[in-house]
Parts: sequence; structure tokens; C-alpha cells
Amino acid sequence: MKMAEVIHLNYHLLPIISRFGIHLGFGEKTIEQLCNEYNLDLNFFLVILNSYHDKDYFPRKHLQGFPIKLIIEYLRKSHEYYLSIKIPLIDKLLKQLSVQDKGISGESMQLINKFFSEYKHELSAHIQREEEKVYPYIFTIEDAFRQGKSNGDLVALIRKYSIDDYESEHDNVEDKLYDLQNIIIKYLPPPLDMNLCHTVLMEMFRLETDLYDHARIEDMVLVPKVRFMEKWIEEHFTP
Amino acid sequence: MDYINVIIADLSQLSRLGLISLLNRMKYPFHIREIATPDKLTALPLKDQSGLFVISSAFLRQCPPSLVQSLQQRFDSMTRILISDTETVNEHKLRFSEIIDPSDLDKNIIRKLEKQLSLIVTRKEDTESPEGISDREKEVLRLVAAGLTNKEIGDKLFISAHTVITHRKNITAKLGIKTIAGLTMYALINHLIVPEEKI
Repeated sequence: MKMAEVIHLNYHLLPIISRFGIHLGFGEKTIEQLCNEYNLDLNFFLVILNSYHDKDYFPRKHLQGFPIKLIIEYLRKSHEYYLSIKIPLIDKLLKQLSVQDKGISGESMQLINKFFSEYKHELSAHIQREEEKVYPYIFTIEDAFRQGKSNGDLVALIRKYSIDDYESEHDNVEDKLYDLQNIIIKYLPPPLDMNLCHTVLMEMFRLETDLYDHARIEDMVLVPKVRFMEKWIEEHFTP
Repeated sequence: MDYINVIIADLSQLSRLGLISLLNRMKYPFHIREIATPDKLTALPLKDQSGLFVISSAFLRQCPPSLVQSLQQRFDSMTRILISDTETVNEHKLRFSEIIDPSDLDKNIIRKLEKQLSLIVTRKEDTESPEGISDREKEVLRLVAAGLTNKEIGDKLFISAHTVITHRKNITAKLGIKTIAGLTMYALINHLIVPEEKI
């Protein structure tokens, strides 16, 4: 299938292909040709595209078969997309809204801006923790698992911090974004520029959907994979 | 009391009239809308309304798949009833609260309808107050937004921490706001607290 057809079919996939580094202007090239050109794993790319395209399609087993490095690389790229593109965009739109509104709704807009900036900090702290603590931890586990080598230290580390702790950290960040949307929809005095407000909301909804898909890959693919390796290491190397 | 909306989607005029005559034997004020063909159902304006949505299995079979798929969402807030003489609800993607066998005795059909209608009416009364949250809940919300713990709130209002938690659950359910930061923003926007009160 040609890549252009894929995008015509579902334009929501645009940010996904850009996350894999594929630029527009691909002419008549097929998905396969582009994957070769960009040095991407075709199967992995297809599974990710499909799981974003179709909510009901989520080949958990198939995804778990891919190497951890590939999955984490993808998760990192989506982090980058959130932090350097999506969040700044919503931030900018919200600021525009508050500049335009001077009245009562303007005051509320400032609250919204403050709330969003708190959300932004929380999300980046969460992402930073994943990249600096969780992913290196996962690589350590995978190394030990692959080489079949380990020691008591690693077992102690697993007991101190296991992947299960990480899974429970997602919810609060999601709830905050939901609350923000809800308040804008239901309780904020209507802003002057209704169209701009709708644009902000739509961007937030897109971010929410994207984060949901992202978390789905983390919680249903990455976490079980790591849990399996943790268990194996504990069984074999408990001193 | 307001009208109860009823949508009857049935290909047969006789069965529509039959159902209407049964409904008219009941004490409720109805606003009944008859739908004879699937395209009329598609053309129905989107509205968020509660009430009764009655559809016959023959009608459902005539609907294109895309319409069937959208039905669940479009009539999500309505109580859905299927008219079918075979109890094979699971064939359908739609979820139904009740199945009515058209060959059943009229008193049985009326009993089933009564049951669903009384549920609709109680639900309506529950959500009738505009803002939803009570004065006591407002007080709790104010203190939550000010940064107090459940225990501190309980001490202040002379209620147990357990009761505070119940209030908080109700507030979240009514407003759809889960986080403390979200509740605080709600309280500020609605002037339940002034900015200085936020610690």
C-alpha cells in the first residue's frame, strides 16, 4: 500500500509517521519502500500504525514479540513529540485565548493557564523519570536476562523497585488533562473567541487520545515483558 | 413533571399503534415519536434526551450496519427496549434494558414498561437540580480546594473523615472532576473561594 493512501485514509496517522522520522513528499512510495529507506522495522511500523488506526486492534502478543529496544525507541520518540510539539502548541493557544479576553472570562483563563502549566510540569517530570530511571532499569534487566547472568544485587534492585510501581503512576497525569477539558467545556465562562477555544479543546482531545495509546503500549506490552524477565531473574538468581 | 420522550422504531404500523395504546393506559405524560423506516431514524436530529427507545428486531435487521453501530451512542442516555419474539439479544451490538415479546399478554408487557418508566422518572428527579452539588458538598469542596486533608475537613465540619470521603466521591461524580487541582480550579471559577484562600 502506498503511504499517501494511508494518510488519505486516516490523517490522524500523520504525527505517527513523523514520529518515525518520515517526512512528507514521499510521492508514490509504498510503506515497505519507505521503511527500507528510513531503516525502519516494517512489521513494527505496521503494528503501530494499525493500533493507532483501529481502537479494537491491539495485537498484544505480537507487540510483545518485538525487541525492547524497538519499543522504547518508539516511546521516546512519542515523548519528544508531546514535549516539543504538542504541549507547546496547546500552551500557545491557551495564552492567545487569555490575551484576547480581558473580562471575567479572562481571569478564569489565567487560572486555566496556570493549571496547564502545572500539568505540563507534571507530565515532563513523569517523562523525565521514565527516560532517566525506568528505561535504563529495563535495559539492565534485559541485559541480564539475555545473557543469563545476574547476581544478588540485581535481585535486590528488582525487589526495591519493580516495574509494577511504574505502572501505577500513569493515572494522575491523565486525570488532570481530563479535568481541564471538562472544566473548559462545562464551567468556564464562554471565551470571546469561541473558535480558538474549540481549537484548543480539539488539540487537547488529540493529545489525550495519543497519550492513551502510548500508555496502552507501555502498560500492556512493555510492563508484562519486563515483569516476565524480572520473575525469571528472581527465580534463577535469588541468593 | 416533564414529558417522557418515547421513540418507537417499528416497520409495522399496527404494532406501533398497539404499543402506543398500551402506553396510553399508563399514568405518564408521553411525547411519542413514531419511526417507520431506518432512513427516518438516521434523519432524527441528535439530541441528548432521556426516555424510552423501543425498536423491533425486524426494524433493526433493516438498518445498515453503520446506523446500528451509531445507535448505541446516539441513544445512550435513553432506556432501550427490543421487541422480539426470539430472545437473541446477543446477536446485536446494541445493549437493551428489556426485551418485549410482542405475543406476550398485555399485562406482562405493561409491567415491563412500567418497570423501565419508573427507573427513568427516578433518574430524572436525581439530576434535576441545576448545579448538582448540595450546600454541604460546596462547603467540603471549599475546604478541599483550600488544601485541607479529609481529617481536617471532618474536624472543621464536625463530621467523620469517612463522611468527608463520601462527600468527595459525590462531588467528583456530579462534576466529573477527579483531581484536587481540578476541584480547586472549579472552586475558583465559581467563586467558592478567593485566590488567597488557596494555600
